[in-house]
This record gives sequence, C-alpha cells and structure tokens, in this order.
Amino acid sequence: MSKPYTLHELLIIAVAKEIHDYENVILGVGLPTTAGALAKALYAPHATLMMESGIIDFEPLLPLNHIADAHACRGFSYATDLFSAFTMTYRGFVDVCFLGVGQIDKYGNLNTTCIGDYNKPTMRLPGSGGAADFISYAKRTVLTMLGGQFVNTLDYLTSPGYLTGGDSRDQSGLFPKGSGPSMLLTTKGVFRFDPVTREMYLAQIHPKVNVEDVKKDVPWDLKIAEDLSETPHPKDEEIDFIRNFAPNMAIGRELMLELTVANMMKKMKK
Amino acid sequence: MNSANEKIMTPKEAISRFVQNGDQLVIGNYTVGSCAELVYEVIRQGKKGFTLYSQSGIFDVEVLVGAGCVEKLVTTYVMRPAGKKGGSAVERALQAGTIQMEDYTNFDYNARMVAGMHGLSFIQVLEGVMATDLFRKRGFMGEDKFRVIDCPYTGKKLLTVPAANPDVCIVHVQRADKHGNAQYWGALGSVAAAALASKKIIVSCEEIVEHDIIQSSPHLTIIPAYRVDAVVEVPWGAHPTEVLGHYNIDFFMYGLFMMADSTAEGLKDWMDEWVYGCENRAAYIDRYIGKFGSSVLDSIKAKPFYSAPANYGAAFTSRWDRDGREIFTGLTLPEMETILKERGKFYE
Repeated sequence: MSKPYTLHELLIIAVAKEIHDYENVILGVGLPTTAGALAKALYAPHATLMMESGIIDFEPLLPLNHIADAHACRGFSYATDLFSAFTMTYRGFVDVCFLGVGQIDKYGNLNTTCIGDYNKPTMRLPGSGGAADFISYAKRTVLTMLGGQFVNTLDYLTSPGYLTGGDSRDQSGLFPKGSGPSMLLTTKGVFRFDPVTREMYLAQIHPKVNVEDVKKDVPWDLKIAEDLSETPHPKDEEIDFIRNFAPNMAIGRELMLELTVANMMKKMKK
Repeated sequence: MNSANEKIMTPKEAISRFVQNGDQLVIGNYTVGSCAELVYEVIRQGKKGFTLYSQSGIFDVEVLVGAGCVEKLVTTYVMRPAGKKGGSAVERALQAGTIQMEDYTNFDYNARMVAGMHGLSFIQVLEGVMATDLFRKRGFMGEDKFRVIDCPYTGKKLLTVPAANPDVCIVHVQRADKHGNAQYWGALGSVAAAALASKKIIVSCEEIVEHDIIQSSPHLTIIPAYRVDAVVEVPWGAHPTEVLGHYNIDFFMYGLFMMADSTAEGLKDWMDEWVYGCENRAAYIDRYIGKFGSSVLDSIKAKPFYSAPANYGAAFTSRWDRDGREIFTGLTLPEMETILKERGKFYE
C-alpha cells in the first residue's frame, strides 16, 4: 500500500501525466505549475516549461503565484515577451497547454468571462487572459475545473473547444488540424472527448466517487467509457515530491489559509 | 527540429545534415560576427541552388556567390570591395546572368523575417519606398515583392511585404549550451528574427557553456533550445569579422580578401587558399599563423569589459525554512500530515 494522499495530490498527478518527455508546455497558474514541476522531476525531464509572460524553460523551485513568477524559478533559459510566447504557439511550437474552466459545454467550449448577462453579470470571471489563443493553437489542451460547472449553453464563449462537435473545429479552418481539448479534470474524475463526435465522456473516476455523483453535475446525458477506470493511486515518490515542493497545493487552499493565519497570530502574540 | 539531446556536432556534420541544395538559406548575422566557418563549410560541401537571404551582404555573400552556390539573392546591401575600381562577386554574377536578385530596404528585409518569426503571413512596412524603384523594379518575386492594401481602419494605402520563412538559418553567437540555447549580445541587428523565422537553425558559437550559465542570464538568449537543430563550437568562427568579447575585425585579412575579391581570378585564388584549402577552422587558423605569425591575431583579442551581473535572486527558494518548517504555517511535514489525518483529508 502507498502512503495516504490528499485529493489535491491526486489531481496534480493526473494532470502531470499529460506532459510527455521533450514536449513544449505552457503552464497556467495554480495546479498546472505544480503538475509541471512534478512532470519535469519524475516523468518528463526534457520537457520545456513555458509561461506566457515569456519565461521559457524554467526550473520551478516553488509553486508559482502567477504566470510571471520568476521568483519561483532557479533561473530560466530564454527571456522573451508575451507577444512572442503567443506567436510561438500560433506557429505550432507548443505541444500542450493547461487552462482552468468556469463553465464548459459537452464539446469542450469554455467560458471564463461571466455567469449571467455579459453587461450585468451575476458573477464576473477573469476573462480570456491567454486561454482563447492557447486552446486555439496548442496541439493539445488540458482543462482543469475545480469549482466550475457543466452547462448545455455557455453564458459567454470565451475559448473554442470542439465548437458544435464532430469535425466542426477542423472544418472552421481557424485552427490547426487535430488541436483542441484532450481532457478535462474535475474533483470527481477525468473526462475525454470522443474522437468522432467530439462529445465529452467520463473516462476515469476518482476514488470515493461513483458514476451517479458525476452525472448529477452534468445537465446532459453524460456518456461513460466502457472501460471506465479508477484514477490510479499515487506512488510514494509522487506524493513526496508534491508535499515537499508545494505543501500548500497538497493540502488545499482553504486549510492552508487557516493554518497560515493561525501561525501569524501565534507569532504576533510572541 | 532535432529533438534528441545530441545537437553538438562539427560544422561538417551540421551542414551536411541540415542544409540541402536549393534551400532558402539565411545568414543570420548582420554586418558583424558573421558565421564565416559555416559559410565556408557550405562552400566546401559544394551545396548550391540557394535562395540566399542576407540583411547586409559582406564577404559572406561574396564568397557564396563567387563559389556559384547562389541562384537567387534577397538583400539590402551589396559589398564593393574596391570602390569604383573593383567589382564584386555579386556584380559579376549579375553581369553573367547567373543570379537573380531582389533589393529591399533594411527595414523591409527585417520586417519579412519578423513576420516569419511570428507566423504572420505579411506585415505592413514604411510606405515611402512606394515612390522608389525599390517598389517598382520587381525581380524573381514579381508581384509578391510588395503588395499594397487599403487599411481597414483608415482607408489609407498601406505597403506590405510577405513573411519570409527560410529553410535554414546559419548563425554565429558568443555562446550556447549543449541543448541549443544561443546567447548573443552587442549589435542585435536582425539576428534573432532571422533565426526564429527559419525552419531549421544551425548555431555556431565561440564557446559551449554549461546550462547553469544560460539559466543565470536568460536575457542574453536570442534562440531557445527547442528551435535549434545543431550546435557547433568554433573558436574564431566569425574571423575575419568581429565578435564582441572575443576579437575585433581583422583588417589585415579583410584587406587581403577585399583586394582579391575585385576580380573573379583573385577571389578564386583566395578561396582556394582560405576556404577550399582549409578543412576546418582550426586548419584555417593554423595556416594563418603559419603564414603570417600570431601577432595580428594576438593584437585583436578582446580585453574584458564585463557587463554587470543581473540579480535573479528571490527571498526564498523552497517552501521550507532551515529548520524544516513550512514558511507560512510554521509546521513541519509530520505536523502537517497529522493535521491532514485529523481533518479527514487523507485517502488511504
């Protein structure tokens, strides 16, 4: 038996496994940067980790605070600019990028702009940032949705997935053939996209979750893989890496905040 | 791209593997620090049929044209080694009808590389040349040398040039690591754009350095490793041109070349001795010292003037302090794990 692990650790590992050796990888803030560090340490030592701020081929020492966090790197190999980071993606030099999700539809189209009406939103989300351009031109895109929702119709289409499904993305002539989202990770499972219909299906389910738990979040009749598997239990070396590199990520934001505040209070009393 | 971790090779191997007859070939350097040894190796291997791009033709374009390697030339500047009196290899080739040429301004030429580097299919350039024969005289590119469009915002006539994406760039820099990260400083010219616009990149450098050196000075990197196919270490690789921090221009050798280049026979004799007659750069330098002694080369070696190091430091480099406590919570790892267990956060 392996060590006990947290859900966050499981999620980070599932994402890290999407990075293959020698690939060029655009990392977004949060879970993906820790996943990138894990992949580079354990599975993909020759991967080139990149961020849209123009930090290229960095070796993270700490979990990154944002996509321009040179403070978290032991140097890097190439300092370029944001414009060039996107045009290198446009030219096809990025193998995989990682994006967070607010709303997602069955074809992997994304909303990270607003919930409700655009002009009078119920909830105003960050917007595109780099997302729309990266998912357009990276060869693959890995999506992570920790607090978002599955919807039939997006309130705002920020980033193009497989559009209306089938070959509509390729037929649009706007994107490199074969590009698009390759997986979606949530706190309940891993979803992938049917190679023909491009409809999302449940491919993998996390421990302590059953299929009904997943289905109740999804407003359409979610398809389930015939060979549905359980997300593999982390190996000790994976857990050790994450816990040492990014204890904050391992334990989760809420508990981290609670423990940090408690520590500050204790220090102040002294 | 050559993704294997074996990019270090000799100029002979790099040119043989990555340069093909008929390629669009770009000399990445601009006026200084030309990739002389890579150019000579192209000539020695008898590669030909190139469409040659050069921001500013100096001895490098002259020897390639003189050797009959070039069918088409795209440039902004043709060297005339002896003023009115002497001709040049490009002039002789034009007179003989063996090359075709397109003339651009420095900006237009560089703009074509910038468009290529960024994956744009064309780019707006400065419209003044529309009044000139640079615009009116079209060579092998014909209509596609320049096209005029209406600005969709203002309606104004805009001049554009098409992107260039040469098949292969040969370029010399001060230093690179074994992965291909290439660092260059001094007159930046159009070097990075020429390299990054190209499909394949061969980097020659004065020295191959450890990856740590690159990681601590990423602002000096002009070509990232993942774009580079071959890295060759060639000390004196740009001689007789200059490399900042290594050596100045060698006016003596450059003078010999200029005198020779005025006639086809002179250039042929010079190339027989200094290009075909030297199998590599070490043999070239040996011949030079054997013939003229080492005083000229000694006199043009750079005296150091180091740039101030940039501080890439941060407050901490780990989430754990020296006592093994997490920096924000003050907890040790076992303490943290105990809390996770108590809170039911663990999956067993």
